[in-house]
Amino acid sequence: MKPQVDGFDKVGSARPTRRGFLDWLISLCSLLAGLAMTIPGLMYLWPAARGGGSDNMEVEGADRMAPGQSRMVQVGGKAVIVIRDRKGFRAYSAICTHLGCLVTWEQAKEQFFCPCHAAVFDAQGRVVSGPAPAPLPAYKIKEVGGRIYVSPA
Amino acid sequence: MGLSRRINSFFDDRFDTETARRFIDKQAHKRLPPHISWFHVFGSLALLLFVSQTITGILLLIYYRPTPEAAYSSIQYITTEVHFGWLYRQIHAWGATLMILVVVLHMVRTYFSGAYKKPRELTWVTGVLIFILTIIFGFTGYLLPWNQIAFWATTIGTESAGKVPFIGEWLLYFLRGGEVVTGETLSRFFVVHVIILPWILTGLIAVHLVLMRLSNLATLEPVGEEKPIPPGHGIPFFPVHVAKEAVVAILLLAGLVTLSILSPWEIGEPANPLVTPAHIKPEWYFLPSYQLLKYFEGPYGAVVGIVACSLPFGLLLFWPFLDRGKERHPRKRPWAVGIGLFGLMAALFLGILGHFSGTDVTLLGRRYHIDLLGRPERLMDEPTSHNPVEH
Ligand code: HEM
Ligand code: FES
Repeated sequence: MKPQVDGFDKVGSARPTRRGFLDWLISLCSLLAGLAMTIPGLMYLWPAARGGGSDNMEVEGADRMAPGQSRMVQVGGKAVIVIRDRKGFRAYSAICTHLGCLVTWEQAKEQFFCPCHAAVFDAQGRVVSGPAPAPLPAYKIKEVGGRIYVSPA
Repeated sequence: MGLSRRINSFFDDRFDTETARRFIDKQAHKRLPPHISWFHVFGSLALLLFVSQTITGILLLIYYRPTPEAAYSSIQYITTEVHFGWLYRQIHAWGATLMILVVVLHMVRTYFSGAYKKPRELTWVTGVLIFILTIIFGFTGYLLPWNQIAFWATTIGTESAGKVPFIGEWLLYFLRGGEVVTGETLSRFFVVHVIILPWILTGLIAVHLVLMRLSNLATLEPVGEEKPIPPGHGIPFFPVHVAKEAVVAILLLAGLVTLSILSPWEIGEPANPLVTPAHIKPEWYFLPSYQLLKYFEGPYGAVVGIVACSLPFGLLLFWPFLDRGKERHPRKRPWAVGIGLFGLMAALFLGILGHFSGTDVTLLGRRYHIDLLGRPERLMDEPTSHNPVEH
């Protein structure tokens, strides 16, 4: 018998043997079978549904809000803060762009404040001070028959 | 008498019990190096706490319900209705904190006595992995009661993971099972906490213990100069070292029950996704990272911060391959000891700042407000101070 190395016989080096070829085929099939089992498993772990809740939310009791007041609503599962001023309604994401706490509207100072690490945003959602890296994204307001609706911009 | 002999001979007739008996005997009476001290008990204490967490965790599982609607009330039910439910919940919650403390102490001991050096590098590496998994254990378990503090600590914690370079957004979505913390997050954390981590940790602990036994405990002699313990010398594992461990184990269990009774963990308010409470802080073992993250501002601040917080863990993991000096005795390793002390002090200092940040403290009769970055500011004695954080 000729000594074999990696399925090739030593003398005629490039000639594959039957056994070497079968070894290689079995490894390939095992690898493919492994992948075929792993990939669906990984996909299973990836979240299927987005957020949850409607993407177009009515602001309940908007007509009762006085100018300067704010209200929290959930749009597509995310917290949104709606402000009424003299001209009408505005809405911003309430999720602080620093690390995700919810900002509150400070009526007296006309600014948003985050209780977690003291980020401050002005009435247009722009960063005033603190660690927040980006402004609060605005949401769209629609008025239909006296009702106020909020949806992603 | 007759019965135990009959049972023994039942097995002797069927299996090679002699080999098993010899193996157990050898392991039990193994000689440890003569300098073994009270500092060498932390490893077995960590093991004891892991066993205790497993038992109390399984007991909690009988009544706990992992959904946003039921989680909070199921914990209330455990603590108010179930016989001794309060005790097992408290022992589990306190056990978690003590387990992290004990694992840290164990690491401190092995670090300063140079026990991580050749040939025990992999024992150290598995140890650091155990440490990291224990922290993740604490983080995932913390969410399970679905109370305000847990909900928001998880929001901030996962958001920090979202700042990891390149894969952050993906990671955040994956961890939360969506864009925000919801019941999907609770399910994920629950499965990780009660199935995945217990089994991975069981495997890692087993490997860690086998490695520890294979290379015996380290002496303080330099790498390559460790002499085998001469026959008849050294400290027998059983009964001498085990007795020491038993003493500390009993003190630990007594401490656990005492803490559970005198200083119980409150459940607080149920989670409200529309209100962030003021002054939420993470558990003490996250305080150093929590505080460190605050110093990084601007568009890339959080990214840099998260890298700064992960770096120490990376260093710990690869430390035996970075510190290749041969000495083990702390007095002959000024650099390693210096770096270790500096790391400990820095973590302690940041942790203390994190603990007091955003609060008022009284020191030597004077009142100070500690701001979020940890800077003290003298408060005048007016009854209503212009406290910048009380909004
Ligand atoms: C090994 C098996 C374990 C199981 C089956 C388990 C199971 C559970 C269950 C069902 C809960 C919810 C009940 C509650 O919140 O009081 C819980 C909570 C918790 N677990 Fe575990 N656990 C295990 C190990 C651990 C370990 C090793 C740690 C930490 C090092 C840990 C840390 C926590 C924490 C911090 C809580 C929240 C406690 C509270 O606020 O009441 N668990 N665990
Ligand atoms: S999460 Fe808002 S300031 Fe940090």
